[in-house]
Amino acid sequence: MTTSDSKGSSAGPSEIEVVSTGPELRIGVFPCKCGKNIGAVVDIDAVAEYAKTLPGVVHVQVNVYTCADPGQREIQEAIAEHGLNRIVVASCSPTMHEDTFRKTVKAAGLNPYLCIMANIREHVSWVHQHNHEAATQKAKDLVAMAVAKAATLEAQPELDVPVTQAALVVGAGVAGMQAALDLAEAGFKVHLIEKQPTIGGIMAILDKVFPQNDCSICILGPKMVDVAKHPNINMITMAEVESISGYVGNFEVRVKQRPRYVNIDACTSCGDCVEVCPVDVPSRTDQSLTWQKAIQIPFPQAVPSSYFIDPEACLGMDLIRCGKCIDRCEQEAIVPSDRPKYIDLDVGVIILATGFKPADPSKIPRLGWGRYPNVITSLEFERLINAAGPTEGSLVRPSDLTKPTSVAIAQCVGSRDINTRSGCSNFCCAESVKCALLIKEHYPDTEVSIFYQDLRMHGKYFEDQYQKAREEGVKFIRGRVGEIQQYPKTKNLRVSVEDTTHNKLLMEDFDMVILSMGAEGIAGNFPLPISCTHDSFYIESHPKLRPVDTSSAGVFICGGAESPKDIRDSVIQASAAAGRAAIILQKGRYPIEALSAKILQDLCSRCGTCVQRCPYGAISQDGTGKFTVMGALCQACGTCAGDCPQDAIYMPNFTSEQIESQIDIALQEDPGNKIVAFACAFCSYRGSDLAGVSRMQYPTNARVIRAMCSGRYSTKFAQRAFEIGAGAVLYSGCHLPADCHFQTGNHWMAKREPRIRGWMKRNGIEDERFRVEWVSAGEGKKWQTIMTELSEVVKTPRKDIVKPKRAIDSKSKKSVKTKTGSKPKSGSEKKQKPKKKVSSSKSEAGKKKPAKRK
Amino acid sequence: MGDNTQDQLLKDLKERARPCFQCGICTSSCPVFRVAPELNPRLSVDSIITRGVVPREGNEWLCAYCLMCDQRCPMGVSLAEILMEIKNISAREGKAPPDVIEAALSLMQDGCLSPISSRSEKIRTELGLPDLPKAEPADVLKLFKATGALEVLETNKAAQEEASE
Repeated sequence: MTTSDSKGSSAGPSEIEVVSTGPELRIGVFPCKCGKNIGAVVDIDAVAEYAKTLPGVVHVQVNVYTCADPGQREIQEAIAEHGLNRIVVASCSPTMHEDTFRKTVKAAGLNPYLCIMANIREHVSWVHQHNHEAATQKAKDLVAMAVAKAATLEAQPELDVPVTQAALVVGAGVAGMQAALDLAEAGFKVHLIEKQPTIGGIMAILDKVFPQNDCSICILGPKMVDVAKHPNINMITMAEVESISGYVGNFEVRVKQRPRYVNIDACTSCGDCVEVCPVDVPSRTDQSLTWQKAIQIPFPQAVPSSYFIDPEACLGMDLIRCGKCIDRCEQEAIVPSDRPKYIDLDVGVIILATGFKPADPSKIPRLGWGRYPNVITSLEFERLINAAGPTEGSLVRPSDLTKPTSVAIAQCVGSRDINTRSGCSNFCCAESVKCALLIKEHYPDTEVSIFYQDLRMHGKYFEDQYQKAREEGVKFIRGRVGEIQQYPKTKNLRVSVEDTTHNKLLMEDFDMVILSMGAEGIAGNFPLPISCTHDSFYIESHPKLRPVDTSSAGVFICGGAESPKDIRDSVIQASAAAGRAAIILQKGRYPIEALSAKILQDLCSRCGTCVQRCPYGAISQDGTGKFTVMGALCQACGTCAGDCPQDAIYMPNFTSEQIESQIDIALQEDPGNKIVAFACAFCSYRGSDLAGVSRMQYPTNARVIRAMCSGRYSTKFAQRAFEIGAGAVLYSGCHLPADCHFQTGNHWMAKREPRIRGWMKRNGIEDERFRVEWVSAGEGKKWQTIMTELSEVVKTPRKDIVKPKRAIDSKSKKSVKTKTGSKPKSGSEKKQKPKKKVSSSKSEAGKKKPAKRK
Repeated sequence: MGDNTQDQLLKDLKERARPCFQCGICTSSCPVFRVAPELNPRLSVDSIITRGVVPREGNEWLCAYCLMCDQRCPMGVSLAEILMEIKNISAREGKAPPDVIEAALSLMQDGCLSPISSRSEKIRTELGLPDLPKAEPADVLKLFKATGALEVLETNKAAQEEASE
């Protein structure tokens, strides 16, 4: 009972239940065909037959859809009928259904942590579609690896933690406002953070919004006021999140608020100060089409309705340098002594509604924006046609302020182009048709042509808009604009475009061209590691079933931060995110990952390395010099175990013993041709899943071992794999420096790389056989590339002489060690002994094989 | 064997053309298309993608290889190279246009395409520039042999003679 320390110390969380298991090992294996997803590639019956021969397996049952209700019921019935105490489901990725099956076995009275999955879909059938034989062999290996791991799984107590009844919403565009209002209405305290001096986001500067073409600020304005007045909403403008620590239910957030230099409560927005301010700056709201003063309000309906001073433009808030506004303000609202403020907040959930930014037209020089005054972006058009804009709603050419008689609208600017952003920006087609209708409404004689590639009018009522635009005489021409040239004298524009329906070149003259700008992602600089796509939008937990959740529990996404979307979709998603967040807040307690590290006191040499490794400060030393882990603080990354020189840290579900048995089985046959790939659960494993979901084919010789964090991969895992004869080893984690979900695990893993390389050099193993890679959840392509490259590496046989003797020696020593460091459950200890023999004899057999061959 | 390599070439071409989504930026950027609408890079690529055949009309020979289409393609398709490959394939089949064959023949015989004019020589001496090197047909012939151009030329000559008969 050396490890009992972890349990008693968890003061905050409460223990729900621990279901003990019988002493005898009875593993049930459930290979799934997943319809044709797996069944069409992998010979599931052969896998099932093979599974029956594995040690400890007493029951094997094939199913077409294991995750469906009958499939789940069969597992529960089999548990009862055959007295199963370990469950292996060989189907899809654990990120997809581990939770499902854990709930299934829990309902049948088994501890959920006694169920694991073998990923034979994302890692086998979807990525090896054309090699049925090798795919089946790989599936067998993965099942055997899972069975070997299952044999030593232990029941874990399920814990839950109290939840702080408050939410943080980052970004107060229409999505953030909606999420904040929904949560506030539901009775929760909401802290709403906005970077700009006003809330409202991009929607606040639009003129009319499709599809009904109602006035944007007229529908947004009241909502903005609601947000400001709601007693449950704490609105913090000109602020950004500086740091976040903690975990679901208990986030500690530090917000940095920039100085406004104007007292919000005192300012009556009378505008007297503007009259005296001598500094002109380009107006942000008006897209630099006009000027504002250094003391300014973004737009008349801004919330909070208060001016602010742009400190970079201001000459100086004292009477020597300028100070005119201070002199003028009757309310004495100007505060020259304002300084940045730090605000600390405790929240239970976080909703990210950080939005996107409009694409940058200057990146596309062929369209001439910036050089030709009459080429404008769609946002500039919004300001020109807006009654509150610089021209008070009359559309004029910026070059000579005359009314344009012909206008072209160019689609897909900044979207669907690998040089800017390869994806479609979703809203621009409808936006352009709206622009065309607005022009026709104000100036029926103006000719409008839309040059499109594919007109995606997919939304509700959108087709009616398109129909209306055609009736109004808007010309639709299929072809993307090749280039725009300007007549130097008239500043008219010549648009070159191929009419691809008629295969002919059109070189038409227009008075004005509107570029229909797409969206650029800005996600990723948030002080919380949420995976992003390569074009900087947040990645959802599941694209269909969990579209507003992220891989971090308690953190939700909505609006333009998730993908480019229009107002309606943003509001829908915001309400969804608020609903999901409210589930956590309303319950008051949240079940957390029960896994936490335990220190085996008899092995511990009290070096204290683990204390440095732990990013959560969960390990502490008591008066007697004993190190213990605080269960509630531990997030189970395993970085401490990865670097423990005595191997004295027991990391449940990812023990050294379990990982080593997986390595052994993976390299059972033909190890020289195998790649042992370690992938962390949050980034790399999800990246490898993405390769599967995207059906990116790669060679079949990789065997992936999943760990919570790359910090868990000890140097000895790679060494062991190479000793057995592995062709190549991959350590893969979240991107450096800040993507790690456990803050620093990837840094500690990176530090082990030189040690492993040194060891390899001493043993004559070629350098290219070991790789450390950073693969994010969005980089399926990168995973495919790495797998393909490593397969090339293993094609040449290893030249070094492995030292099997030393390997066996160290192995036997190790198994003695783990035995002395006995496991917390006496029941499980008994059954581990026979299993250990099996696994060690197997690995020895595996070790002998390559030697024989050579 | 010849067919095998042609098949492989067509397969490579398809692979390279695959990302094209027919937006027409290439064609509207093409300076040749403005004066000779027979050359439409988008349609040449379309023929490979949708019909799976190398276009045989010979329009690709008009390409001036200015690379504007390559530069602007939003999908990163190397249109100029695809057009070049189409030209290579049709040349190996003996389908190069007669004027190209004539030009190649004169290059092989004279070692250069345009002879040095007496006027330019005069200007060069006036400017004190050194004489231009004389073309060496023998060296050029070596290049023709080494690159396989001679073989292609022969095929085309034979095809032309056959056609004229």
